Amino acid sequence: MKKECIAMLLAGGQGSRLYVLTGEMAKPAVPFGGKYRIIDFPLSNCSNSGIDTVGVLTQYRPLELNSYIGSGQPWDLDGSTGGVHILPPYMGSKGGTWYKGTANAIYQNIGFIDLYDPDYVVILSGDHIYKMDYSDMVARHKAAGAACTISVMEVPWEEASRFGIMSVNEEDMITEFAEKPKEPKSNLASMGIYVFSWKTLRRYLTEDEADPNSENDFGKNVIPAMLGNGERMAAYRFAGYWKDVGTLESLWDANMDMLSPESGLDLHDESWPIYARSVNAPPTFLGEDSHVTHSAFNRGSVLDGTVENSVLSSNVRVGKGARVSYSVLLPNTVVEDGAVVEYAILGEGCKIGAGCQVGGTPESAAPAPWGLTVLAPHCELEAGKRVRPGIMLDRNGEEVSKK
Amino acid sequence: MNGLHGIIFSYEKRTDLRELTEIRSAASIPFGGRYRAVDFSLSNLVNAGVTDVGVVLHGRYQSMLDHLGTGKDWDLSRKRGGLRVLPPFNYQKDWGVMPFRGKIEALFGVRSYLDTIRQDYVALMDGDLVVNLPMAEIYENHIKSGADITVVCGNDSFATEGGSYFEIDPEGRVTEVLYNLHHPRGYRGLEVYILSTALLRDLVDECFAKDQYSWRRDVLRAKKDVLNLRCYIWKGFAAQIRSIQEYYDRSMQLLDPAIRAELFTPERPIRAKGADKTSTYVGSEGRCINSLVAEGCRIEGIVENSILFPGVVVEPGAVIRNCVLFKETVIHSNAHLAYIIADKDVEVLEGRTLMGHATYPIVLAKGSKV
Repeated sequence: MKKECIAMLLAGGQGSRLYVLTGEMAKPAVPFGGKYRIIDFPLSNCSNSGIDTVGVLTQYRPLELNSYIGSGQPWDLDGSTGGVHILPPYMGSKGGTWYKGTANAIYQNIGFIDLYDPDYVVILSGDHIYKMDYSDMVARHKAAGAACTISVMEVPWEEASRFGIMSVNEEDMITEFAEKPKEPKSNLASMGIYVFSWKTLRRYLTEDEADPNSENDFGKNVIPAMLGNGERMAAYRFAGYWKDVGTLESLWDANMDMLSPESGLDLHDESWPIYARSVNAPPTFLGEDSHVTHSAFNRGSVLDGTVENSVLSSNVRVGKGARVSYSVLLPNTVVEDGAVVEYAILGEGCKIGAGCQVGGTPESAAPAPWGLTVLAPHCELEAGKRVRPGIMLDRNGEEVSKK
Repeated sequence: MNGLHGIIFSYEKRTDLRELTEIRSAASIPFGGRYRAVDFSLSNLVNAGVTDVGVVLHGRYQSMLDHLGTGKDWDLSRKRGGLRVLPPFNYQKDWGVMPFRGKIEALFGVRSYLDTIRQDYVALMDGDLVVNLPMAEIYENHIKSGADITVVCGNDSFATEGGSYFEIDPEGRVTEVLYNLHHPRGYRGLEVYILSTALLRDLVDECFAKDQYSWRRDVLRAKKDVLNLRCYIWKGFAAQIRSIQEYYDRSMQLLDPAIRAELFTPERPIRAKGADKTSTYVGSEGRCINSLVAEGCRIEGIVENSILFPGVVVEPGAVIRNCVLFKETVIHSNAHLAYIIADKDVEVLEGRTLMGHATYPIVLAKGSKV
């Protein structure tokens, strides 16, 4: 079945900088924004962009992600030609290996891509929160006659050295690429979203695989090799909201951003819907004494306490006299009566006993260093416990280091 | 294969639902913040392991067709069996245009469908019933009791528009069938019946041959001494949505945690169509208490003792008390509403005031702009 364009979504990363949150699941399966999982963003973008064939490359702890994606129906990706396909590493007659890098993951699935004989392949990451029309990017790729198009966004100059930075000419064609440069020559950062002409990419992947010194990574090997050979590389400028939620802080930030559409992340805007596999539960009940402000919640919750500046997933319970501020509560968490949760991320199914104090404001931590407090999924705290700001607990309530 | 088949009646009947049924049948009335009435009977059946369900439609059923789709949301989109929507197809007499006069007439309208039922027993249910019945238990009970027909009743004589009431002897056998009572007595029938498929076919054919159309008059009442009719008494919440007042009172009962716990018990989840909407947001100046709120709402005003369906917007300064606001209702700033039922897509402009009363809730028809 010939397709003009298909997408390959890299979802195999461990997400080690999300620490305990990804102890049992791959990063793209981490819940976000009260209703979503991170992977809903690229999948919905594909669906809204008219891309109906998506390969999802999984490797690390894929069970939760696999069952979440299922048939792809929530994203309209269950068509009779194409649809969403989960692609774990597999064995061939000459054996098989784990995915060694982003480029190797695609290399190992050349057979899958060839089934659709596409002209273009879009390479996506499973850890970004953004709304983007990939068809517009493909149009730019075609118009530029490029072999590769990389989406870029302007970042503040002082932060430029944290990103892969592209230098471009007057036609926005890429002239130079530098990974985390000390002295950036440009402030156009790569967003890790690529469009390739498949024939060209197929050749480079094969060459890259043959090179024993390569790390088989798009950013480190394939892109520099293409640039070095003088391939036409176009930049595609993106100006909307985009956030890599690979760290606890950025995940928390992005959740807070969804509370304020001024941030650019407006999920109420239905012209570009983000779909999700929804949880079946009755509507949320806000009790007589509840006090919920500047917060978001979803289905199945019962809120009797105070919730401020927080994002609550489905089936959360906040007891009487409890207070949740500046926090992100993942599904099925319970905060019992009188407990206080501040500046924290609580994993799925956490239970905070009555009167606990979890986390605290930056001021309360001084002079000790401050940080978000993070609880692993299914961590249960007995009544009256205190967990200082910046502490991370595993599911048995043992402290683990953020190193 | 489960031995029970479901038939849900969703044909037009005389009710006092005014504006709410101008554009839909009672079975597709939104209820409880994210459901349609029919979700309850469908879920009751599916939770008992029923795999095949027919929905008899007649009159204003477009909204119902939209809602049911392929039946996927209830796991009823199946290769064999699953959901069958049954608009009138055995046209005889005036059935294409005239509403069905009773269940027998409705069943005769789908007579050939009755022959295709694979299961030995059938549960008949009304689509306007909001309840969470343990149908598996009722079915088991039906077989054990040796009843010809099990009649499911509520344990109250709550007056409902056009309700049926049953008097029973100490053994649970029906001794009297009453309807259209000014002062209801006996047990209130929930219009849920279980009987064997063979008996159902016989009754439909026999009644039709005698030009009889009414299930409760020509079957239940006429044959109560010939057939073994037994009551199953359900002690929990059971609402029949047949008037605006009943709709309103029953909706407000959901603000009681005990009633929600029972109606939405996780053991028998009520399934409903998803609503691709984001999380609900309550603003810094927003205040929302003692209310049931679905997803995708934006609340920047005051909401008390109310039920909000998905996508409702309450702008700053607006005050909503004791209201039921359907999907996508927009209340602009400084509007005041009390005891209002707003149908889908209603818009209330800035500064307007609308007050009903607990005994006379005002309905704003779908799409109206106040």
